Amino acid sequence: MASPNDSGDWQGRYYHIDQILDTPGPRTDEAFMAGDGVKNFLRNEAKILVIGAGGLGCEILANLALTGFKDIHVIDMDTIDISNLNRQFLFRPKDVGRPKATVAAEFIMKRVPGVKVTPYFGKIQDKDDDYYMQFNLVICGLDSVEARRWINATLVNLVDPENPESLKPLIDGGTEGFKGQARVILPTITSCYECSLDMLNKPTAFPICTIANTPRLPEHCIEWASVLEWPRVHGDKKMDTDDPDHISWLYGVAAARAKEFKIEGVTWSLTQGVVKNIIPAIASTNAIIAAACCNEAFKIATSSAAYLNNYFMLIGTDGVYSYTFEHEKRDDCPVCGGEALDMAISSEMTVEEFIEMLIEKQDIQIKKPSLSTPIKQIYLQAPPQLEEVTRPNLSKKVSELVDAGGEVTVTATTLPFSLSLRIQFT
Amino acid sequence: MHDSQDIEAATTATVNEGRPDDKTRRYDRQLRLWAATGQAALENARLLVISGSATSASILKNLVLPGVGHFTILDHNEVTPEDAGNNFFLEGPSSLGKSRAEEVVRLLCELNDGVEGKADTGDVAEVLEKNPGYFGNFTLVIAHNLQATLLDKLAALLWSDPTYPILAVVNSTGFLAEFSLQFHEHTIIESHSETAPSLRIDKAFPSLLEYATSLDFSNMDSMEHSHIPYVVILIRALEDWKKEHDGKPPQTYDEKKDFKAKLLGMKMKADEENFDEAEAQAYRCWTETKVPSDITPLFDDPQLETLSPTSSPFFHLLYALKQFAAQPPHVLPLSSTLPDMKASTAAYIHLQKLYKERAAEEKKTFKGFLQVPVDDDLVDSFVKNAHGLKVLKGRKWGSLDQSPEVLVEKLSAYPRETSTHLAISALRASSVKHQNAKPTAEKLTSEAQALLPAGTELPEEFANAVGELVRAPTADLPNTAAFLGGIVAQEVIKMITKQYIPIDGCCVIDLIETWTGTI
Ligand SMILES: [Zn+2]
Repeated sequence: MASPNDSGDWQGRYYHIDQILDTPGPRTDEAFMAGDGVKNFLRNEAKILVIGAGGLGCEILANLALTGFKDIHVIDMDTIDISNLNRQFLFRPKDVGRPKATVAAEFIMKRVPGVKVTPYFGKIQDKDDDYYMQFNLVICGLDSVEARRWINATLVNLVDPENPESLKPLIDGGTEGFKGQARVILPTITSCYECSLDMLNKPTAFPICTIANTPRLPEHCIEWASVLEWPRVHGDKKMDTDDPDHISWLYGVAAARAKEFKIEGVTWSLTQGVVKNIIPAIASTNAIIAAACCNEAFKIATSSAAYLNNYFMLIGTDGVYSYTFEHEKRDDCPVCGGEALDMAISSEMTVEEFIEMLIEKQDIQIKKPSLSTPIKQIYLQAPPQLEEVTRPNLSKKVSELVDAGGEVTVTATTLPFSLSLRIQFT
Repeated sequence: MHDSQDIEAATTATVNEGRPDDKTRRYDRQLRLWAATGQAALENARLLVISGSATSASILKNLVLPGVGHFTILDHNEVTPEDAGNNFFLEGPSSLGKSRAEEVVRLLCELNDGVEGKADTGDVAEVLEKNPGYFGNFTLVIAHNLQATLLDKLAALLWSDPTYPILAVVNSTGFLAEFSLQFHEHTIIESHSETAPSLRIDKAFPSLLEYATSLDFSNMDSMEHSHIPYVVILIRALEDWKKEHDGKPPQTYDEKKDFKAKLLGMKMKADEENFDEAEAQAYRCWTETKVPSDITPLFDDPQLETLSPTSSPFFHLLYALKQFAAQPPHVLPLSSTLPDMKASTAAYIHLQKLYKERAAEEKKTFKGFLQVPVDDDLVDSFVKNAHGLKVLKGRKWGSLDQSPEVLVEKLSAYPRETSTHLAISALRASSVKHQNAKPTAEKLTSEAQALLPAGTELPEEFANAVGELVRAPTADLPNTAAFLGGIVAQEVIKMITKQYIPIDGCCVIDLIETWTGTI
């Protein structure tokens, strides 16, 4: 055990938390080992990973440090922007431009003595299974669906039934305005992130013909500027939605188009909101959801109280409305289910239309899917040589390439899993 | 189509126009929720927070970050080793022995230069005793785990005059917590209601009716035909239907089905989405536009009978709304917002113009009913949000615990919420009587029973709640503090900005099973 000096502890430091750790409550599981055993595990042994050092991440790090986790790792690939400062409370104006993970780790270590926070400024995909294997728990405070799907699938794949240590509970939080959700995922045991993909709100997409021919809303003019005019005028130069000059250009173009069509309401702020797909975010909602996540981490790490089974959703726009429920595991979940997903399509449908449908479908949502059957490749997005070879299949009918009842495997480079579809024709 | 030179010219002219300043950029993500009006209200607010506890600091953090104008922490205690362990706004052992109010204020102020923070090391008991006017300097007072007799005194004082600040009472112990707001009345114009106002398809105003019936559907080219807005299609189809049905809209199930089939029968080509949209929106033809049932009861408010020039503008506006709705066709003023629909630009913009013009006329009529001048922006906002207006009537803090019958009703309807609430009330009462003695389940149960009619049986949920309080009677857990910090701050923001809808009652929280409920 670490000496009091190393741990930075002082008499009375854990007065509040020790009331919970010294005594079981009426609803505490019998396995709870009140007293020194649980305290030692929490303070000297538990190793926890926080993914994201943004709105949720800052809150999560502070809560974990105060509850007694001493070995915390944090991953984030972003740097600090001025618009983060209304809620990401470990950052100051002087930190703008620096990596979030590094600044957050420094701040926590300075504020909460004896806590070690190890930052990694980069992508979660940079790390391998051995890296994830070292943690007892993972908490996710991300705004990216793609990253969440990746870590979810990675942790599900990590599970080795022979080795109980390989099961890493994943606690996931998300917020939008006054709303948010927190959930506990026990990979392979409970419903996973992929199981609930259909609960996500569908992003608003404007049809290209509306944007090009019949704009009605200011958003249509902004999409016209960013989707059609930017590439036309700037060629290969990439649009950077974090560059105010680029936003100003888009705003100017969108405003001119709006004027031409007598459409009102194009503003700089709306332009930025549309092209960056900005989701409103406030400190208070992040605080609620991060606290719920950390509270589950604390309960799982200590067994001091039952943990959430398994989904908590909060809506703060009309009073305080919340709903706690058990989200059910899907047998045909491509990540944790094991069964192929049945899909009935028209025998006239082309491969291209089929791909379009896979991208759109709420419970699949795979960007750039590659398709194959056990015996042949249908369409591969990469590498370029194979893309070229399989491209002619795009205009063929799926029914020419796959037998009724046959299986199609869908993969995407961004996702560490494949999806099996059993195809029927109508 | 532009050529690129035109675009360059257009862009150079506007390159710096509308670009947000640093303050707008900092607050961008919240301005998208409550706009400049909400932000201004927040910046004008003055908060008083009683105690510099972990929970108090967490609540304040979420109000300092979005830019509340001023806050004062009133706390005469020094930082103890226990405080230094659970409060993120203390610097561990180096804060020991210093004023808790001063330390917490200092570290909170680092979060936002635009916020004024003040530490008051006075004793709330003394302030209540000697300087009750002190509280009048604030917009809203937050009290966390305030000792029961002082809390009663504070609540009574703030209730005694409707112009006194709102009181947020927050109590927490271990994994359990509750909070409520004490206010006399809270009026909301911008409730951010998710129901859209009526498009008046069933009661089309003259210019709209005239436009819908004047179009020659049959001689349109296919492009034009596939871009007739569904609003126009519905009004036209409804007019035709009424001619054949004694002026009545479709009423029975069969008639409605028939009407929908007729809508689809108007298609020139199968893929005309605008007619599909019309079919999906057909219910608008037989759903009568009238004053929504949430709004009618507001017209019975006795304050409308006793208006004077000094009455709040909200009630003057509500009075005008009542007069407006008393005229045929007995509806709320038209909202000028038109949802997006499949349409050509020209057809959509024209339709939008008809709605805007009519809305402006109705706003003029509405203003004619006003007995005092009201700021035009406020009138606009009121008319635009009329379908979502709210008037909340508050209660004095503690009134629930003084109504045994109501408690019994709540106990059977919401056993876990009411049980947890009763347990927290019992702990507060018990800690006054027994001071430093550790509470027992027996003592807390008898305190709770004292609030209920004799012989009331307490459910299992009560034993669960009391057991937790006995386990950790004085624990201010970091996660519970952070959770409350968020949830109370959300409510404070809603009260101050007068946007969105705050809780109506007492919000109870259990972080073992992770639920919240309002009783
Ligand atoms: Zn799954």
